[in-house]
Amino acid sequence: MDIKKIFQINNDRSSYPEIGEDGKPIIDLSSHKYVKIWQGPQHPGVTGNMALELTLSGDEIVESKTHVGYLHRGFEKLMERRKFIQCFPTCVRLCVAEPDPNEYLLATCVEELSGIEVPETAQWLRMLVLEMSRLQVLLRGVPGQAGTFALGLGYQWGSYIRDLILDRFEELTGGRVYHMYILPGGVRGLLPDGFKKRLEENLKLADEFVKNINDLMFNNIVFKKRAKGLGYIPKDYIDRYGVYGPAARAAGVMRDIRKTHPYLKYAELDFEPYTTTESDVYARSVVRWHDLKMTIDLIRQIMAKMPEKGEIKAPTPNVMHWRIPKGETYVKCESSRGEYGMYMVTDGSDTPRRVNLKGPSYTHANALLEKLLINANIADTAGIMVSLATCPPEIER
Amino acid sequence: MSIKDILTPFTAWKRVAKEPVTVRDPFNDRPGADRYRGFHKNDVDKCIGCGTCEAICENEAIDLVPFKDPVSGDSGLRPRVDYGRCCWCALCVDVCTTNSLSLSNEYKWIATDPEEFRFTPGIEEKAWDKNEKGWKKPEGNYEFYNLERVSMEHLHPEERNDSFIEMVKGFSKEQAILEADRCVECGICTATCPAHMGIPEYIKAIRNDDMEEGMRILYETNPLPEICGRICTHKCETVCSIGHKGDPLSIRWLKRYIADQIPEDKYKEILNTNNLEVNDKKVAIIGAGPSGLSAAHYLRLMGYQVTIFEQYEKAGGMMRYGIPEYRLPYDQIDKDINYILSLGVEIKYNTRIGKDITLDQLGKDFDAVFAGTGLHLGRGTGIEGSDNQHVYYSTDMLRKITSGEEIEVADSIVVIGGGNVAMDITRSLARLQMQKFDKVNIITTSLETEENMPADREEVVESREEGATVYPGWAPQSIEIKDGIPQGLHVVKCNSLFDETGRFNPQCEMDVKNYYPGHMIVQSIGQGIDISYISEEFKENIKFGPRGRVETDEYFQTGVKWFFMGGDIIQGPDVIHGIANGHKAAVGIDRYLRESDFPNN
Amino acid sequence: MQQIIQDIESRFTITDKETRRNDLCFLTVDKLQAISLVTYLRDYQGYASLTLLTAVDWIEEGNFQLTYLLNNPSTRTEIGVRTMIDRENATMESTHHLWENIQTYQRELKEMFGIDFPGSPRIDEDFILEGWDNIPPYRRDFDTKKYSEETYFPRPGRETNDPSTYMKSKLYPND
Repeated sequence: MDIKKIFQINNDRSSYPEIGEDGKPIIDLSSHKYVKIWQGPQHPGVTGNMALELTLSGDEIVESKTHVGYLHRGFEKLMERRKFIQCFPTCVRLCVAEPDPNEYLLATCVEELSGIEVPETAQWLRMLVLEMSRLQVLLRGVPGQAGTFALGLGYQWGSYIRDLILDRFEELTGGRVYHMYILPGGVRGLLPDGFKKRLEENLKLADEFVKNINDLMFNNIVFKKRAKGLGYIPKDYIDRYGVYGPAARAAGVMRDIRKTHPYLKYAELDFEPYTTTESDVYARSVVRWHDLKMTIDLIRQIMAKMPEKGEIKAPTPNVMHWRIPKGETYVKCESSRGEYGMYMVTDGSDTPRRVNLKGPSYTHANALLEKLLINANIADTAGIMVSLATCPPEIER
Repeated sequence: MSIKDILTPFTAWKRVAKEPVTVRDPFNDRPGADRYRGFHKNDVDKCIGCGTCEAICENEAIDLVPFKDPVSGDSGLRPRVDYGRCCWCALCVDVCTTNSLSLSNEYKWIATDPEEFRFTPGIEEKAWDKNEKGWKKPEGNYEFYNLERVSMEHLHPEERNDSFIEMVKGFSKEQAILEADRCVECGICTATCPAHMGIPEYIKAIRNDDMEEGMRILYETNPLPEICGRICTHKCETVCSIGHKGDPLSIRWLKRYIADQIPEDKYKEILNTNNLEVNDKKVAIIGAGPSGLSAAHYLRLMGYQVTIFEQYEKAGGMMRYGIPEYRLPYDQIDKDINYILSLGVEIKYNTRIGKDITLDQLGKDFDAVFAGTGLHLGRGTGIEGSDNQHVYYSTDMLRKITSGEEIEVADSIVVIGGGNVAMDITRSLARLQMQKFDKVNIITTSLETEENMPADREEVVESREEGATVYPGWAPQSIEIKDGIPQGLHVVKCNSLFDETGRFNPQCEMDVKNYYPGHMIVQSIGQGIDISYISEEFKENIKFGPRGRVETDEYFQTGVKWFFMGGDIIQGPDVIHGIANGHKAAVGIDRYLRESDFPNN
Repeated sequence: MQQIIQDIESRFTITDKETRRNDLCFLTVDKLQAISLVTYLRDYQGYASLTLLTAVDWIEEGNFQLTYLLNNPSTRTEIGVRTMIDRENATMESTHHLWENIQTYQRELKEMFGIDFPGSPRIDEDFILEGWDNIPPYRRDFDTKKYSEETYFPRPGRETNDPSTYMKSKLYPND
């Protein structure tokens, strides 16, 4: 083998990869023009456990494949042999970082299919928990974007406040990470004494954080240079690739279930999700930052409007043999990443026939990410991925 | 891009002087929140080992392990948690029927041996056992099953107080399914039921709306479901696990619901008894009461030729002649009995053993004999004036009402007794008074205080609804007689019935007196055994226990090998014990006739 | 919503319909009409967004149910197109030309239910399960509990008692 040839650097990459007759790039690894590397499943730039199989030409990605399956627990199948009430501790694990929408969706599916009306107080409490959950995610998610460009400081600030929010979760629900609070029929407790006051103190810190992160990230020349123009999602991708939530709103398309399909008591709250049109990593980051601000505001509105006391759970059939007539439904809510839905089919027995969870990561991390990474720089992989807020446990469930 | 973008990030430096926010563990203890779902606690004295926690655990983290010997209403088992599987969802706490299970707010537990993380809360002592804080079932209307009974519709007092039509209406399908839904299928009740009926199983059949399956389950252990579904003493309901937090299930009414749904002509088909085998062995049954009918039914199923000897003109024993029609209509008795007779059981009415045929003769004619002759002898108070002709025994009066004989109904009546029979005669007489005088004037008095009255609570309440006056806690002293007619009953205050050792020893305050006027007195203080059909020389071969009861072995076999006895004369008195005895005796007779090594062979 | 359903009914043979909410209904069509209905909804009725594609195993009837859930962002309604396909040699026409993201769903269905979508890109590549050697696990006849008992070893020393049978064994063993 000619040593010289191996180290020969061809600066002109415009001619390859060549496009074959079928429109696909011809990638011949033995040509030494390409190198294949795996980003993940253990990699600090990958959220959770998933892997990207990247084919590089120099530091430019020419082909990308997403590999999931490192976290498959078969929950959808496991629920098929569990009674409806038993599904509720299972389903929280569908997405680890943001468990409450899972609880909410399962409860709503079961309630809708068996025709149960949830008490007013429970609905407000559900909404509070869902927003606290979003806050908790965004406190890490917003600065996490800067983290992918090696600015980890904001992430640490956010983690502290997130921990305080988890303290509030612990008070209200009995658990810090897996809250198991929203169960079919209602919720599992009223607000403890003094809860609102303590949460308000945390929200003040969050307010300050919102300001600080603005200074740190969005008025930061490094972040701007790295994030602007990166990972552009054209508007016509929204439906073709399945783009949801903040990512769609950054492309100027209004996608927020809270606004478009108000559930719980969202119709009684005053909010307007932020949209912009740049549709790059920076824009998505800004949208999420606005989401964070809005969530803090929503929590305050909920606390002001919610009833102090009241029924927390509707009477349900005996949970030991709760049977639901044959039927199917799809319910959805807005998670921090976008439309989060659950499809449930029942067959008249005391277990679901089929449960299917559809989270935005399913399309974001597969079809969309694979597309966006083409021609991106290897160093920007993590940045693009985090801007889509992928969550592997929700992809493979 | 501007110079601002270069400078503003440096504002982060202002935080350099801030104090760190991390908690210094372990120097600062950080207890879990008040509701934290930490390690399990169990109040083992409150826990009844019903296993509902095990059933709801989606991770199969809970096992039930023996803690002490089971007693009625407590399986003696306690939950053991495997922390290799537990996910601390606390469903076990929320579903717990006794509220004994909870989670503490402790979350730190260090051990080197993984086996230690499998433990029985409450029994293996842990540091957090005394921790008050932690997850408990949320307060308020937060229940995983309905604690309230589906109410049973009754005839209103005005509708029922002058007639003997059945007063309990029975469940509709919706009501029955709703009530059956409350069951958690723990099965604690089965042990308490004398007949050990498959209660959770037949309740499940109601939920599935599968009456035929329900019927088959009923007949496995009880051939008189219509009767038991109405007048059973429902000991099962006293131990129902749901009863610890709310109303126990209406097990009795559910049983009645199943039996009510099946028409008589479908029984044989459903129970698959159209073509029963017949063998060459013959068994005689004395008395067509619950135990006799039960024994006859199961013996017939086993193929024996069964003949029942009944002293009255109709079958049913105390169920027919002791229980008033408004509680147990005769057509329902007939429905159960007709089915048993339709299996090929022969019955000879108006035949009294000892008079029409001797017991010894039966022994010769048949391979085995079962006697379930019941308690038909009224027991008297023996007080002054009780030998007056207007002083009656309740058993006699109830029998006469059933057979349609004319009985005396005075304008004012006093009943002595606090049991169900006393309530039966009170309410029967109240109806007759209503028919005759258009008003009720009847006083019922018992030795027992209100809360200790042996009668079912609803019996007392309904007696009052029908116009009777119930005065518990008074001991009868004498009956005042004038011109051969009773004038009233003198009583003194009675405070307790039993002494510390549990012996019957009434304590009365003799100076606290009362007087209940009445021109007719009915004694209803219990019934006695009538075994006059057993000759003196025969009696020498069988053993007697205390209070004149015959002693039998566990299969109700007496000292005479071919002679079995059961029912009220041995255990009870109530219908369900009779049924259970009859069933067990049938098994005993079968084994006696088939097995050479049966205990007394 | 009713208008659209009426319009669809005039063009396609709807064998079953179920209106779940004002903004959600399910329509059942024959396998042969399913793709054209989905295409029609996407191109002419504004149901441009695919919410999900999944399958339900009706093993008793020998069918897989495929559900294409389509979302119309402007009317904010959803239509689920259901179609039954034979469980034996389960195959369905691929719709990867309609949405770029549907190939992921089809890959998952191939792997988890064994439903083939010939022509769908990368349809035979492993998606979640690598080296799986059993029947497709989301089929109803795949018993997760049995599989786990055969594949993993249970922790020794665990035993439990049923209250009712335990009480029987202690209190009335001979009855």
